[in-house]
Amino acid sequence: MAATLTKPAAEAPDPRPVKVDVDVSHRYGTLPVHDGLKFTVRENEFLCLCGPSGCGKTTLLDILAGLLEPTGGRVLVHGEPVNPKRHNISFVFQEPSTLPWLSVRDNVAVGLRIKKRSADDVRSTVDDILGVVNLRGYENYYPHQISGGMKQRVAIARAFATDADVILMDEPFVSLDQPTRERMQAEVLSIWARKKGTVIFVTHNLEEAVFLGDRAIILSAKPARILADVRILLPRPRNTLSPEFTRLRAQFANLLNAAVPAGTGG
Amino acid sequence: MLLLWQVGAAEYRSPYLPGPGDIYSAFVELVRHGDILGNTLWANIGASVYRLLIGFGLGVVFGVPLGLLMGLYKSVYRNIRAVVEPFRFIPPIAWIPLAIILFTGLTRYAFLIFLGAFFPVFTAALIGVARVEPIHRKVTLVYGASKVYVLTHVVLPTVLPDILGGMRVGLGTAWMTIVAAELTGGSAIGLGRMMVNYSELLRIPEVVVAMVLIGLIGFLFNEILLLLEKYLFRWRWQVTL
Repeated sequence: MAATLTKPAAEAPDPRPVKVDVDVSHRYGTLPVHDGLKFTVRENEFLCLCGPSGCGKTTLLDILAGLLEPTGGRVLVHGEPVNPKRHNISFVFQEPSTLPWLSVRDNVAVGLRIKKRSADDVRSTVDDILGVVNLRGYENYYPHQISGGMKQRVAIARAFATDADVILMDEPFVSLDQPTRERMQAEVLSIWARKKGTVIFVTHNLEEAVFLGDRAIILSAKPARILADVRILLPRPRNTLSPEFTRLRAQFANLLNAAVPAGTGG
Repeated sequence: MLLLWQVGAAEYRSPYLPGPGDIYSAFVELVRHGDILGNTLWANIGASVYRLLIGFGLGVVFGVPLGLLMGLYKSVYRNIRAVVEPFRFIPPIAWIPLAIILFTGLTRYAFLIFLGAFFPVFTAALIGVARVEPIHRKVTLVYGASKVYVLTHVVLPTVLPDILGGMRVGLGTAWMTIVAAELTGGSAIGLGRMMVNYSELLRIPEVVVAMVLIGLIGFLFNEILLLLEKYLFRWRWQVTL
């Protein structure tokens, strides 16, 4: 049965072109953080990276964004070493990242303006994306006037506005309450369905990974290795209460538990 | 309170303890006929404010960029800190003897006011830079923002409220310094000068008029800056007083 829900990525080659090619062995001082992490991400793929806390997920995202040079290996986007100036990278952070002195509209436009898009282009793109994330009518509000969930929607709108080569998301919903979190997950999927884009979504929440991903990579504790790399074949929209969903989640949980040595508490 | 003062003064009938009425008539007299040297009250105020704005402007023009630069390059600041910081504790008034020897006229006043305005602004900018959130930098760096972009679009908006606050403190210090500087002479005009002239004649009502004006003008400047803060920083919860 399980075989119908997932497939090892190696056994089910994805026909889409490779967008991101990762081969990273990073050390922090003498401490190895990533031990030969090797994977590719296809165009318009939604990849979830899961791992126990402290497995270097945030460091990996910094490396993927080109903000941090790995001590070993490389990240290629379109076959070239990743560089924020050359490539079009978006990042949705775990903590609130709206700029408090800018209105909702100007926050969404940050990436477009840095990428020097024309004023007309910025206006129409921002208008469009604000509609997609249901923030119409809040254009002129400042971040302190809106809720935490709305701030995260602004950050997501900002990330999808630039038609990025890669959209990196670092546990973007971890600080939201459960109902808001579930609503935001559904919203991310609908934005992704509409705007398209290659997404690398980091989470330690397996349910989130099973709900969102085309594919999931399960990482071990530090130094991080790939424990499993599977395509999730559950049809969308996924029902988190269905037996298939629950079974897949349990399967991932077993993999992850096997990776955490007993008694370390993760 | 005014009434109590008026009654008390009338009871005492001393020329050294003028009542509000005496002060008001002294004010009217100054407005109508100018001071004993023939300068109008407005000319006196204007001269002081002009000096203030020049010196204060210099303080801001030097204080803000230097504060930002030192804030961004902490290692540079750590090296020169022991040289720069002691200057902060020398009150501008203590510079007056040196200023009298080194400079004359407007330059002297501008120098003293500059000293009063520079440190509050410089310190505010320096400390403000430390409050820039790493995440705000990262938001722009991910999109490939240049150093200049980060400075103008992240650092400056973060630090600007601190700078405005520093400017309000600096303006207060500068305004107090100008009056003290004018007391030492060197020019026949200015509110401080006018005050000395009248105190030498023991004409207390005019002295008090000058005091009240100094207070009110300082207050007015402070209010203007506060309004500017409220307008510029409407993105914040509120501007604290």
